[in-house]
Amino acid sequence: MLRLYHWEPNANSGKPMLALAEKGVPYESHYLDLLKFDQHQAAYLAINPDGTIPAMVHGDLVLTESTPMMEYVDEAFDGPPLKPRSPADRWRMRWWMRFFDAYFGPSLSMIGWSVFVGPAARQRDPEELRAAIDRIPLEARRIAWRKAVFNEFSAEELDESRRRVVWATGILEKHLATHEWIAGSTFSLGDINGFNLGYALPLSQPAVCNDQKTPRIMEWLRRIYERPATRQTWSKGRTPMASRVAMLERSAPAAQ
Amino acid sequence: MNATMLELYHWEPNGFYLKPLIALEEKGATFTSRWFDPTTFEQTVDGFPSSVESRLTLEREGPLLVADGEVISSTFFMLEYIAESVPGPALMPEAAYDRYRARAWGQFLGLSLGATTSALGCARHLAPELARQDAAALRGKIERIEPLERRSAWLAVVDGTYDEAALTALRQRLSLPIGRLESALAKGPWLAGSAYSIADIDAYALVDPLRDLAPEVVDDERTPHLKDWLGRIAARPAVRAARARSRSGQPEQAFVPGVESARWG
Repeated sequence: MLRLYHWEPNANSGKPMLALAEKGVPYESHYLDLLKFDQHQAAYLAINPDGTIPAMVHGDLVLTESTPMMEYVDEAFDGPPLKPRSPADRWRMRWWMRFFDAYFGPSLSMIGWSVFVGPAARQRDPEELRAAIDRIPLEARRIAWRKAVFNEFSAEELDESRRRVVWATGILEKHLATHEWIAGSTFSLGDINGFNLGYALPLSQPAVCNDQKTPRIMEWLRRIYERPATRQTWSKGRTPMASRVAMLERSAPAAQ
Repeated sequence: MNATMLELYHWEPNGFYLKPLIALEEKGATFTSRWFDPTTFEQTVDGFPSSVESRLTLEREGPLLVADGEVISSTFFMLEYIAESVPGPALMPEAAYDRYRARAWGQFLGLSLGATTSALGCARHLAPELARQDAAALRGKIERIEPLERRSAWLAVVDGTYDEAALTALRQRLSLPIGRLESALAKGPWLAGSAYSIADIDAYALVDPLRDLAPEVVDDERTPHLKDWLGRIAARPAVRAARARSRSGQPEQAFVPGVESARWG
């Protein structure tokens, strides 16, 4: 029995969702509303004491780190391989996943949290919100939530995140000039990871990521969007966040 | 059977540089050792092996493994590459879940201790070493380094960023990863299942320097299981052979800037 605890098909939650869909592995879906702090409730903390999402439970085994979780999905289940055959290509896949997870992603999500997660969370009663944040187990996550919710990102921090997003987008565009997929000539977990990070880039960063400036990123995103597993996974979204993916339709009007 | 030509560019056997040296010794691999001194910045000039990934690697000045023309950087993934491609004893667990655990440790420790151990080591050992160099010449070398984050990491060592308050904050960050390691090792002898693996090699290289850099956190009384595990790894012939490649005789003092601390807090 396989259970997945996740939020929207987006960022870390979307990684195992899309990997499982590509493998054709059925799972019991447990949707947690990140903005309602479902992930910090006692029932979920009993599964993942860190209160981070996603979490995967396979029999007695619990997995909570989304990128290694995808490698587990690829190794533990039948289905099409999602890692390249050669060790060098597998190394490249992992290198880029770390670049997405630890460099590109945090900068992009700092901007996203400041414009989306923070304002959405601020709809709630401030005292209730403060108490909810105090219950977050990991100090680093408490700090991140406080900054997002109470709009405490400094102008310098946000500027630096914007600089990094522009720069990393350029690096990715160059990489895709010589590599059909992230790891090389085959679709892999690296593309699943990158799509979860970048599917909304053309909407959130229209001046940076568009058909004129980054044609290779646009084509790569569209090729992933057209895969049946991606369609199936993004149809599980419950908020307008996930429906942003529709802008990758080839007939969609360009973002303004 | 070792058809691939392996060249390892490394400095003293400590921290990030120690990891692939141990793994290659464990494999009994034939490789060419290319020793360099990153404090002279020879790794930043033309002619040194380089790729998009090696220039942008989040570990900054770490070792490079050149294999069949591919420049492999980022040490946990380098260990996976060695485990997967070099003949010899298995260094990756057999079971999928144990492999998950090895990778989850690699990710967690790489981003936590990868930042903290390096910064504490640089403050203690590299800063005074750089202070002995000609200041203007040093600045000139650092100013040429790309990308910006890599340059900033060196500037932080020379501009007094690591004052007492910063060092105290860094030491406080050790309690989470060290606490998790101690409780994992209380449950079993190795980090990812019943056998020694690249998870142990990776963690050993990041934890061992803390006996000296943060004795209030890694100490025989508070972390007995960690102490026992460090001792078992240090006694392995491959680890001794890797350490024996030191040229200075004091590899435990060799530090260069590593992973950037998380920007969110």
